[in-house]
Amino acid sequence: MIFAGGKILPDSELNPVLGYLEEEIAQTLSGPPLETDTVLDALEALGAELDSGALDGLIAQYAPPGAREELDRVRPQISRAALEERLALELGGLAGPRPFGRSQVRPLGVLLHIAPGNMAGLPAFTAVEGLLTGNINLVKLPHGDKGLTLAVFQKLTELEPRLAPYLYAFDLSSKYAGTIKALAALADGIVTWGGDGAISAMRKLAPPGCKLIEWGHRLSFAYLSGWEGMDLSPLAEHIVRTGGLLCSSCQVIYLDTSHLSVAERFCKQFLPILEKAAASHYKTPGQAAQGALYARETALEQIVDRASFDDLNFPGQLCSLTLRRDMNLELSHLHGNVLVKRLPRQELVSVLRRQRGRLQTAGLICPDLKRETLTALLAQAGVNRITAPGHMSHSFPCEAHDGEYPLRRYVRVVDMENPQGRPETAPEQENF
Amino acid sequence: MLSRQTLFWLSRVYDLPGSDARFLRAVRDNCAYHIRHCPEYRLICQAEGFSPGCLNTIDDLEKIPLLPTLFFKRHHAASMPGWRIPMKVTSSGTSGSFSRVGFDWGCIFAEIPMVLRLGFYHRLVSPKPTRYVILGYKPGRQDRMGVARTMFGLTHFAPPVGRFYALEWKNGGYVPNLDGAVKTLARWAQGSLPVRIVAFPSYLWFGMERLEELGLSVRLPKGSKILLAGGWKQHYAQEVDKNTLYALARRVLGVEEENIHEFFGAVEHPIFFNTCKKHHFHVPAYARVIIRDVRTLKPLPMGEVGLVNLITPLINATPVTSVMTDDLGYLTPGEDCGCGLKSPYLTILGRAGLNDITTCAAGAAELLGKGEMP
Repeated sequence: MIFAGGKILPDSELNPVLGYLEEEIAQTLSGPPLETDTVLDALEALGAELDSGALDGLIAQYAPPGAREELDRVRPQISRAALEERLALELGGLAGPRPFGRSQVRPLGVLLHIAPGNMAGLPAFTAVEGLLTGNINLVKLPHGDKGLTLAVFQKLTELEPRLAPYLYAFDLSSKYAGTIKALAALADGIVTWGGDGAISAMRKLAPPGCKLIEWGHRLSFAYLSGWEGMDLSPLAEHIVRTGGLLCSSCQVIYLDTSHLSVAERFCKQFLPILEKAAASHYKTPGQAAQGALYARETALEQIVDRASFDDLNFPGQLCSLTLRRDMNLELSHLHGNVLVKRLPRQELVSVLRRQRGRLQTAGLICPDLKRETLTALLAQAGVNRITAPGHMSHSFPCEAHDGEYPLRRYVRVVDMENPQGRPETAPEQENF
Repeated sequence: MLSRQTLFWLSRVYDLPGSDARFLRAVRDNCAYHIRHCPEYRLICQAEGFSPGCLNTIDDLEKIPLLPTLFFKRHHAASMPGWRIPMKVTSSGTSGSFSRVGFDWGCIFAEIPMVLRLGFYHRLVSPKPTRYVILGYKPGRQDRMGVARTMFGLTHFAPPVGRFYALEWKNGGYVPNLDGAVKTLARWAQGSLPVRIVAFPSYLWFGMERLEELGLSVRLPKGSKILLAGGWKQHYAQEVDKNTLYALARRVLGVEEENIHEFFGAVEHPIFFNTCKKHHFHVPAYARVIIRDVRTLKPLPMGEVGLVNLITPLINATPVTSVMTDDLGYLTPGEDCGCGLKSPYLTILGRAGLNDITTCAAGAAELLGKGEMP
């Protein structure tokens, strides 16, 4: 399916849409710019519908189970106040008088979003970020988007028809490289969400001069120092709930110790807590079955792929822990099957540096006295988010994205010289 | 290794107690073969303390290491070098990951009598030249999808004199042509040769709805049949009541309920499961089914719902002796069916949990849902 001109169209309309897209974009860009208030009003109206329950049917129809809860968690961040705060934080100070005249913030122009499929709602969210900065958004939907994004776009353009020329979505398989290349040729920036494969593929398709904005896959972990007597259940619930599938999901539980026996003791202590979290998370027999299959697969992979390693396996019901002897940060077996490793704090920076550019969140459990030192150490190692373990995958208002402010990447600063050679006294009324 | 042929050339196709001894012997030999030739399988058996000697009674089958279908998607384990494997088949690869299962000559040699005997038993075999409309994938060099192979295989029970495929490979993708299939059906209905429709159930449903929409109904010639393969898979949301499907088939195609046959199988377990006249999948002598608890994977008693574990000694090329599917189902005593067969029958309820595993029928349904119909 395709979304163009405020309407959902069948795939057969792809070629006609591609045919007139360039002209339509040029026309939109030569018209009046998209006012931030227009976008904020529309999002506020959408939020109101969401709160009233009017969209519940839509969510139930298109989104995977659990999406409603996820949405409730992120809801405060799409409130008008939060978005205004974000705009001020991320773009504030970019525009204003300069010694040569003034600087203005302008949208990049056209953004092609290669949207992620690991979290419902993200394809719509990335487009919203593009809208907030005044860009025209072409969204390539992920495989498995069952229509939620299209429905959201339709609702949004119904509420605010002026957004229609700024939103396009294409449900294309990555096999349609030709079409994606054609879309890339129209873009000023390409926002790629995804793994190394998706990112390398887009780098090849992007025309020179097109700005690449890459939100690649990241690795996250928990760091435990002096955990005795601490509540570990929020960490267990995080591991089971996210299934390890998010960039912010804990893949490895690092223990601040060099003793294997201490790590073994931790596994024995933590396994029942993880099992309890799994038992309450997998509610239906189908979910439990899937959990059991993944746990079984983990056990087999440990036997087959790690035969020459001396891993210690702690199989549990619907989950497992694997204690490995090395310190590397790596992907776990996912779906409630997590790795445990030793990482004394003295080695933290040197070990984590090996994954620089891929580090995201560290969930930190430690006594209050140590918190500040360890937080600083993790930041020094290249970690971009440091949270409580239960909050690793929570989004916080005004937080950066992988160490950057996204909106800043979707705009450009235009410097305008004052012919009289003097800075302008009053700042120009900005769009942002 | 003749124990396998002794089992698969067995003539009483649903006699489980009568085949237990042969089955056990064949499974023992099959496990021993995989342990000798497949390093991965050997490691698993060692780790789990399993050896063929553990199999003394039919109840011991539960001790064979269980390999989930996911394992075959992530590991291309083989018990033979590639040059000894004449045929390699993959499960549907719509999600990018698929199982690769090799078929050895001994397996093919054993499959032929199984398919023929079951084909005769279920009255699929006919000497009359027949036309086939396949609402599914056209097999080709571009893929080795198991379901395309099954559907192609199903067009040989009666001599084929024409085949029409509703999904064709064009420019690197499958293109559905339901309207073409409908037109072909209407044309062939005028002839005297029997027509067999080989279909994914969801395709048959959409196709028949299309016929009704167009206000068409045809009377397929006498002896015509509908053969359903591939299951509803992830299309359960739209799964229609079977009786509604049979009624629609009678109304728009003129095919009676007893001429609608369903098949069940998996690339990792290519046993030819057929429906009896009451539309139940009785377990044939060439396979055994264990239902396992969704949490502990321990065997469950008859009638309880759990994960479906399929066991067969059919294949030497790939260690698929005991495969854990991601289907949820249950077994019912054969006597409760009423068709006369005593072998228990398997009811599949649906697929386990997450959306990681997309299957072939779901892929086809997606193509349809996308409105790519010409």
